[in-house]
Amino acid sequence: MYTYDTFDRQFVRERVSHYRSQTERYLAGELTEDEFLQLRLRNGLYVQRLAPMLRVAVPYGTLSSAQLRKLAHIARHFDRGYGHLSTRQNMQFNWPLLAEVPDILEALAEVDMHAIQTSGSCIRNVTTDQFAGVAGDEWVDPRPYCELIRQWSTSHPEFDWLPRKFKIAITGSRDDRAATAVHDIGLKVFRNDTGSIAFDVLVGGGLGRTPVVGQVIRRNLAAEHLLTYLEAIMRVYNRFGRRDNKYKARIKILVRAMTADGFREIVDEEWSHLEGGSSTLGADDLARMEAHFARPDYPRLETESTELDTRRLSHPQFSRWVEQNVAPHREAGYAIVTLSTKITGVPPGDVSDSQMEAVADWADEYGFGEIRISHEQNFVLPDVSRARLFELWQQAEANQLATANVGLISDIICCPGGDYCSLANAKSIPVAEAIQQQLKDLDYQHDIGPLDLNISGCMNACGHHHVGHIGILGVDKKGSEYYQISLGGHAGGGNSAATLGQIVGPSCARADVPSVIKKILDTFVDNRVVDETFLGCFQRIGIEPFKERIYGTV
Amino acid sequence: MALSNRIQNGLRLTPLDEWMPESGDGLLLDVADEPEARFIRAPVIAIRFPAFTDGRGLSLAVLLRTRFGFEGELRAIGEVHPDIIHYMRRCGFDNFQLAEGKCLPPAGSKTDSILAPYSDYYQASVLQPEPASRRIRRVA
Repeated sequence: MYTYDTFDRQFVRERVSHYRSQTERYLAGELTEDEFLQLRLRNGLYVQRLAPMLRVAVPYGTLSSAQLRKLAHIARHFDRGYGHLSTRQNMQFNWPLLAEVPDILEALAEVDMHAIQTSGSCIRNVTTDQFAGVAGDEWVDPRPYCELIRQWSTSHPEFDWLPRKFKIAITGSRDDRAATAVHDIGLKVFRNDTGSIAFDVLVGGGLGRTPVVGQVIRRNLAAEHLLTYLEAIMRVYNRFGRRDNKYKARIKILVRAMTADGFREIVDEEWSHLEGGSSTLGADDLARMEAHFARPDYPRLETESTELDTRRLSHPQFSRWVEQNVAPHREAGYAIVTLSTKITGVPPGDVSDSQMEAVADWADEYGFGEIRISHEQNFVLPDVSRARLFELWQQAEANQLATANVGLISDIICCPGGDYCSLANAKSIPVAEAIQQQLKDLDYQHDIGPLDLNISGCMNACGHHHVGHIGILGVDKKGSEYYQISLGGHAGGGNSAATLGQIVGPSCARADVPSVIKKILDTFVDNRVVDETFLGCFQRIGIEPFKERIYGTV
Repeated sequence: MALSNRIQNGLRLTPLDEWMPESGDGLLLDVADEPEARFIRAPVIAIRFPAFTDGRGLSLAVLLRTRFGFEGELRAIGEVHPDIIHYMRRCGFDNFQLAEGKCLPPAGSKTDSILAPYSDYYQASVLQPEPASRRIRRVA
């Protein structure tokens, strides 16, 4: 993974002192509420319903074991013993004291971490495939480009005061696990016909109030031009994006107003002045960054372990976990393990200090000391020997991190919702729990097969409800919490393009959500043909049969 | 830096629709104005920030400096807050008229670093045309 040099360390240390002085000036009454709001947002600090919330940046979802131990320490000493894995691969703390945040940042800086640009109208943490660098289906490792973008966008002189927040995601795999089509900029990195690294550039995707699938404005952009091309897009957005209405300020609205072709023309004109400029990446820049992500020296392992087969036969629960939570690794004898945080009774993505420490220990014991956070709000151990999966499973099981539900209906993506967030119209955590309660039977979930169920507590869509196969959106109906359900959404990847869900009908009360979900699943079970997934079945039969089951025939 | 030189040097600032290149007047731009080559004949260009959170003036400044080669004084006026100055300087502003009620920390005070909180930055800018990776050997 990327290791900080003296330059990075100095920058982060100076960021801590800078933010500390801003906090002190605020507390001394030298900065107004409005001024400090903007300054603290650029350092990840929100003020929520009950307390401030600090969002710590986990660049493209990658952590070292030492960093995760520090997060555990922060959870224990500055918070209430837990943290929350966000849908943008970051970690959030829900109970810090505003005056203590500079101390938290100082603790983070000790392990080369920070909270820079994790909120506010600026370029946010770049996200990517949680399996980057180890995925069996990867074309190009996206992490060096994530880091180049991180450095370029950090405290950018021109692009820290944008019309609205700005999210970039990169994938380098056939299966787009980073949902690039629903980001302000989505990048697909691959090797082109001549064997060179190149990017397809999508713009204008996003969820929120107006969900849009991004459109390709540039194909086969040579890697050296990555930053200058991004600069051109950002400048066009910064100058022409709407600032009169925050709901119309995202780049997707600008792209729609100009049309993708019109937007491309303006960007290309701008880029014609920037192409070849000083932000152009030289071969040495790229090589130096790639070297940071060189593959570890994998000891050669037996391709298949008979031990693993024996354990699978004697422990059906373990076998199911292997089937569901273990993904193919590019190196023979290794596996990628997803540690599910989605256990009934715990809010999706919440992890305790002791769980964080356990995961850090496993990363050292079973891998090369590296951990990932997925946008589905789970931990990932990227390099586990297949022969030691059983050992790891036993420990994960003892720490409530081994629910064999990755990719199944109970692996719910869920925002913090009305329990914490001041933007929410409705709670989301209790809805997730009620659904998990109802579907406790893992056999049933396995029978249902792959199913993404995503919940957002408001139309800002942090829970990605638009791209859930089943999406649930909390709405406010005359002061009561109601839930609007959509079907058929898809975040892209596999062989399907990203698709936005269709609303199934009028919203329902919170208590009725589990029964509506049950009706949806029954409709699927009654209609599916052999081996058909929920999404495949929906795409074949359409929304009508689901409507009829839920609302009755009109 | 020209922070001490807080204008009021008697020069007239004329809004774009009335400004003539040959007038010798300073040019007053709105953040939404489109930059043009003829602007470089102005002795001073002032860009008015309608809010300190409005970054359009930053892009406009970069364009005037880098695309059109404006070398005169570039002044930020309007909602200019001390905490934004470090961005403005890197975008090519060299004179600042602070928003009403705002003042700069006294030189040499603890909070003086507001104006230059970082000793260096990653990316290229008007002030520093080469990114850090090309200027310094980055070592762990």
